[in-house]
Amino acid sequence: MSTGVAARDLDAGRERDERAQQPEGAFASNDPWLLSGVIALLAIGLVMMTSASITVADRNYGDALYFLWRQLVALGIGLCLSIGVLRTPLEMLQRLSSFLLLFALLLLVLVVVPGVGHEVNGSMRWMKIGPLTLQASEVAKPCVVLYLAAYLVRHGDQVRTQFIGFIKPILVLMIVAVLLLLEPDYGAAAVLFTTCLGMLFLAGVSLQRFSLWGVVAVAALATVAMLKAYRLTRLMTFTDPWADPYDTGFQLTQALIAFGRGEWFGVGLGSSIQKMFYLPEVHTDFVFAVIAEELGFAGTATVIVLFLFVVWRCFHIGGEALRSGRAFQSYIANGVGLLLGLQAFVNIGVNMGVLPTKGLPLPFISYGSNNLMMSCVAVALVLRAAHESRRPPRVWSKKVPHAN
Amino acid sequence: MAQPATLYAGRRFTAIAIFIAAAVGLIGRGIDLQFRDRQFLQSHGDARILREVRTPAHRGIIVDRLGEPLAISTPVSSVWANPRKLSLSPEQWRRLATTLDVDRGMLRSVVAARRDKDFVYLKRQVPPDIAARVTAGGFQGVGIDREFRRYYPAGEVAAHLLGFTNVDDNGQEGLELAYDHYLRGSPGAKRVIKDNLGRVVENVENVRTAVPGQNLVLSIDKRIQYVAYRELKAAVFANRAQSGTMVILDSRTGEVLAMVNQPSYNPNNRSGLRGEYFRNRAVTDVFEPGSTLKPFTIAAALETGEFRPTTPIETNPGFFTVGQYKVRDVHNYGTLNVASVITKSSNVGAAKIALALEPRRLWQMLSAVGFGALTNTGFPGEAPGRLTDFRHWREIEQATLAFGYGLSANALQLARAYTAFANGGTLTPVSFLRLDRAPPGRRVVSPATAQEIRAMLETVIRSGTGRLAHIAGYRVAGKTGTVHKTTARGYAEDRYLSLFAGMVPASNPRLVAVVVVDDPRNGEYFGGRVAAPVFSRVMQEALRLLNIPPDEPLENGEQMYAYVPPASPESFDDMGHRPEP
Repeated sequence: MSTGVAARDLDAGRERDERAQQPEGAFASNDPWLLSGVIALLAIGLVMMTSASITVADRNYGDALYFLWRQLVALGIGLCLSIGVLRTPLEMLQRLSSFLLLFALLLLVLVVVPGVGHEVNGSMRWMKIGPLTLQASEVAKPCVVLYLAAYLVRHGDQVRTQFIGFIKPILVLMIVAVLLLLEPDYGAAAVLFTTCLGMLFLAGVSLQRFSLWGVVAVAALATVAMLKAYRLTRLMTFTDPWADPYDTGFQLTQALIAFGRGEWFGVGLGSSIQKMFYLPEVHTDFVFAVIAEELGFAGTATVIVLFLFVVWRCFHIGGEALRSGRAFQSYIANGVGLLLGLQAFVNIGVNMGVLPTKGLPLPFISYGSNNLMMSCVAVALVLRAAHESRRPPRVWSKKVPHAN
Repeated sequence: MAQPATLYAGRRFTAIAIFIAAAVGLIGRGIDLQFRDRQFLQSHGDARILREVRTPAHRGIIVDRLGEPLAISTPVSSVWANPRKLSLSPEQWRRLATTLDVDRGMLRSVVAARRDKDFVYLKRQVPPDIAARVTAGGFQGVGIDREFRRYYPAGEVAAHLLGFTNVDDNGQEGLELAYDHYLRGSPGAKRVIKDNLGRVVENVENVRTAVPGQNLVLSIDKRIQYVAYRELKAAVFANRAQSGTMVILDSRTGEVLAMVNQPSYNPNNRSGLRGEYFRNRAVTDVFEPGSTLKPFTIAAALETGEFRPTTPIETNPGFFTVGQYKVRDVHNYGTLNVASVITKSSNVGAAKIALALEPRRLWQMLSAVGFGALTNTGFPGEAPGRLTDFRHWREIEQATLAFGYGLSANALQLARAYTAFANGGTLTPVSFLRLDRAPPGRRVVSPATAQEIRAMLETVIRSGTGRLAHIAGYRVAGKTGTVHKTTARGYAEDRYLSLFAGMVPASNPRLVAVVVVDDPRNGEYFGGRVAAPVFSRVMQEALRLLNIPPDEPLENGEQMYAYVPPASPESFDDMGHRPEP
């Protein structure tokens, strides 16, 4: 149809116009589904994190909304960063990806240097820069995803077909993982490593090689865990927290009690008892248990479904991008989906006692400025990817994947 | 060239499928936890959060016979800590110690000693304003409990009588202990939800309602108690005595109107006090009544019908021997009669009368008026004194018993015994509680004998050893006593007990009182010089307070104040000399 052709021509023309006046157009065609899912999670998160933290905030800081204000500031910064990301062509990030990786590695090294890193509860995860506290692992997460996405674009065939192509990014990831283990931050190491394996899988690495390396990776993590007996004991406590419910199983049993108290519709917003200093880390790693107690099964199921929706939407955008020939955008969307989904489901699994207790925040919901900003930036990357991939195929581009 | 978009769609579906499976698994786990296991989980949760706490019951107040409060419970707060949850900075430790006014090191060691426990009191019974400051201080792991503290408005004036409660509001001494079951309420209980710092966040249900204790109305008249305390304290101070006691009874009803001791203590601040201060000497300490016992010897003699008040008694030459012992008077009184044996307080006379009696008759009299037996008031720690069985009496024992050696009694017993004379011959049981009507008494001597003894006792005041007990406008009957104190090595040569027992108005007695001053060391030690003036001063106030009309018209020129007779030491000598070999 002539009108159709005309429309496509028109689109092409608009596309050129948009390129001319980047980045305003970045807001025009992002993904409203992903955005609504994330906004819903953020809204639930702000309410439930505040509810969970009220008693602790009041006790320790004399201000019941202490954590809310700080989380809102972090959200504000996160939104500013996101807008910046939305206005940035992903090509630019693709070119910068190696520098981003080096930057992440630098932070990860600095944070474990005594005197620079800031130790909390025996972990060196933070750096103080003026009024800001920087958590190196959170900065590393999107950087590593961007690096791997760019690497897959550059050496996609080599990764898929040659052993050396596969092992090079794995070695880089090993370095990142070792640095994370030095902090130590096992949760972040596991999530980031698994995310990258997932990205390799989705990029088409042969299943044989992939499964071999998967086994090696699992064996390596298991060895690290078993190196210290106490770690193994702590690791396995989750299988039977009631064996020692007042010591090693204390936190988990308190979380499980929160679930039991919640029943179908919860004890009501604000009425949690477990947050009355019974459940440690109640507003950070164990905020999901408070959701379970106050909002019941209805609340937990809603949050799980929302996360599933966000993950699916990321993968959907990844598929869209690949179909439109934008591999980098696709890998980013996949990576972010894996990153957020893994964090969320591992955290929820920990709360429910089906995974070993590891310090891992629930994206968008747990208190923690760095994780919140990282999650916002990650979502912004996906939204940008969706925006770019919904333009007509850029056949003229030199950066067509697999051009050789 | 392979098209990645089509090539790896399967893998994406696989990944999504894994996530869906994970979500389904987690939701399934949620159903498990939030529905199937909820009873197990909730019971474990209840075990951690539900607590039954005691709600303190209000202890009954103690009032005097006119309703004036003597012991009341005031709400206070107790500050406690949960050592396992306690986390204070050094600055906070300092602030907490300052607020509670306790030593910081002690505070820390108290907490350290119970490091693995969940509860330790930091300070109990602090005033509400201190508690408010602790709450405002925001000390993590520190809490406040509501309690009651006993407050005694009369302070040291009624300290021994009332006793006190311990920090848990249980009676420990005195009437607080004797009537503890009556005063104490039964604490209630309620089920609450506590946060992990031990603070109550929600009341769940009332398990048991607290029942407040009952109020106790004492027979004590706070006004008379105060006067007695003031005068006794002054006398103990003036005579540099070791201690003192005074008991005042309503002779008709047996009610205790006042009971005071020296030295006393402040029951509202007992820190640093030893147990001996807490003793209510009026019931816990026994002494040999000495000459104050003579009226009972005489009464026993009159009851036999073989003696009349006018029956002559030969005391010349002022001593006589019983076996190898010698009974002495201070002076040779020559020939006396039964009445003037009392007036002059003659040991020889009393001993001779006693030896003329059957031992059984004398014992019956002393036993009937309550010597050697508890007063049955239930006052804690009462000492019954000693009255040996007449079948074991040797002759010398019977002789010394006549003037009050060889038996012992407490001040309350002695006062009660005197009610027999005051009350026309019937002995009324004593009571610390206000009575609506006089309880039935027990006849111990005939009305005639009681009347005759009273008349003799009046002569003691009018012309004998007890002249300083005189009260202008009233007829007073009484008997003085001065006793050598017993020590571990027998009778002390120079240590005395000054006694006075009396009643007023003598024509129709209403009040009976006993004054004991222990070991006066300021020169004076005769009962008539040391104890009798206390009786006089206290009783004239008591008579006025109780609106008891005078029974002796004032003689011309006599003023309505204490009569001071010419001083002559011998005229007060009522010394019951210890028997000598």
